[in-house]
Amino acid sequence: MYALVDANSFYCSAEQVFRPDWRNRPIVVLSNNDGMIVAANRLAKEAGINKFGPYFEAQKLCEQKGVIALSSNYELYGSLSAAMMEVIGRFAPEQHIYSIDESFLSFKHCYPAIPCLTEHAMKLRRAVWKETRLPVCVGIGTTLTLAKVANHAAKKIAGYDGVCAITSDEQRIAILKTMKTNDVWGVGNRIAKRLGMMNIHSAFALSQMKTGLASKQFSIELERTIRELNGEVCKTWDEARADKKQIFSTRSVGNRVTDLSSLCQALSKHASTAAAKARTQGSLCKSMLIFASNSPFDEQPGGFKFVHHFSYPTNDTCELIEAATSAAIARFNPTIRYYKIGVGLINLCSEVNLQGDLFERCRNPNKMLVLDCINAKYGTDSLFLAAQGISQKWGMRREMLTPQYTTRWKDIPLIKC
Amino acid sequence: MNIIPISASAGITGFESPATDYRQLPLSLDELLIEHPSSTFIGLANGDSMQGVGIFDGDILIVDRHVEVRNQDVIVANYNGSFVCKIIDKVNRLLLSANESHMSTPILEHDTFSVEGVVIRSIRCHRKSPILKND
Repeated sequence: MYALVDANSFYCSAEQVFRPDWRNRPIVVLSNNDGMIVAANRLAKEAGINKFGPYFEAQKLCEQKGVIALSSNYELYGSLSAAMMEVIGRFAPEQHIYSIDESFLSFKHCYPAIPCLTEHAMKLRRAVWKETRLPVCVGIGTTLTLAKVANHAAKKIAGYDGVCAITSDEQRIAILKTMKTNDVWGVGNRIAKRLGMMNIHSAFALSQMKTGLASKQFSIELERTIRELNGEVCKTWDEARADKKQIFSTRSVGNRVTDLSSLCQALSKHASTAAAKARTQGSLCKSMLIFASNSPFDEQPGGFKFVHHFSYPTNDTCELIEAATSAAIARFNPTIRYYKIGVGLINLCSEVNLQGDLFERCRNPNKMLVLDCINAKYGTDSLFLAAQGISQKWGMRREMLTPQYTTRWKDIPLIKC
Repeated sequence: MNIIPISASAGITGFESPATDYRQLPLSLDELLIEHPSSTFIGLANGDSMQGVGIFDGDILIVDRHVEVRNQDVIVANYNGSFVCKIIDKVNRLLLSANESHMSTPILEHDTFSVEGVVIRSIRCHRKSPILKND
């Protein structure tokens, strides 16, 4: 049996932990730079705020309805997520942290130590609430996909009280009938649309689809999803997250960039973020996309986009920064007020299977290992290349940022005595 | 910016320290003060109502959400939307102060009330700490 535990509108709930006066208020959290709404709790949704819309469109409505809008406080979310995962992990012998707010658990060989999984999940839910003040839902099923399905039911179907364990076939079928195809894990909107054209609209209809047809018309992945919906274990969490085929680090800046050195710094920062991600998944980059432009809403759109091909695949921060910087120097235009800046590692290959080359410039992967280890131990950017700048004027805008209650001494919560 | 102190060494070795085999982790205040790291948060006391139990304005409170609340514990509660530190009287449903100039507060039906954790330790800085807010 597997469980999927996830927090209800995690970013919003995290903002409520140290603001008890916000516990029953509608809240939305904005993306980097306060551009988009990336999280909305139930009350905010009921007030008519849509997730993933631009904030400036919803701002009026937020003010009218008393919806609290906040910048994303990743320092707080990261720290609360770690605490939450630790508490969740106590409830099963195996845990796989899937994202900042989702965690899979495996209950293999647990019977009869845990006679009733539903009761166990209720305990888990209460413990997480008591110890971290974050609300979670638990879905339990025989496959990872069914655990996801059960979690969806626990959230969306009234009466489950935050815990749903799919234990019988009738229950499984009843739940699948209430779900749309794109609510199923791994079925995106594009696939759902094509399924719709084949008259497959519900998750149940999908589960009845012939597996041969699914793999022929779509992919082996969809076939595995169908098998999982019918209780056949096909996915394990080692493969639940495949390596990324492209890595982007991009952001719109708070204050427009108009000088070359700021542009180089911003690009260097993105190159170093992307390089670190590539190293984490063991990838090397053959080509890198470097781009900077003004806003599409500006009078005269402008900027550049350039692909740099490396002679040898690399994930060395120094090499990536060198390429990004020289591209910026060659293409910088002082009349453009740059807004959207970033890099993309678009052509990745695996470090393990790399074909060596006699003439390759001598790389020193240990240098990057040291960099990564120090930053893992002391926090992001404890050690960085000076090319990315020390004080970043072009940093992101977070005008409605709450205190970092758990990671900055000056921000710890006040308690009235 | 974080500064990581690393002492330089030149690969010259003298006598090995006789203490090498006895090396242990140094004492850690975290270990002493925090019993359940993932269920603990740190707050700043604000006010004088808890002086009787030795909690003064500006003290650091270590609040554990894991431990069970016993009667007469010093707790942090969410009382009508703000964090308060009081002694809980479970029998009479009261929040008690530890200072004669403050009244005890009954917890009534229409109040928002929940226990946010037990104050398991409090810390006094007899000299001001430079990393805390200085006011």
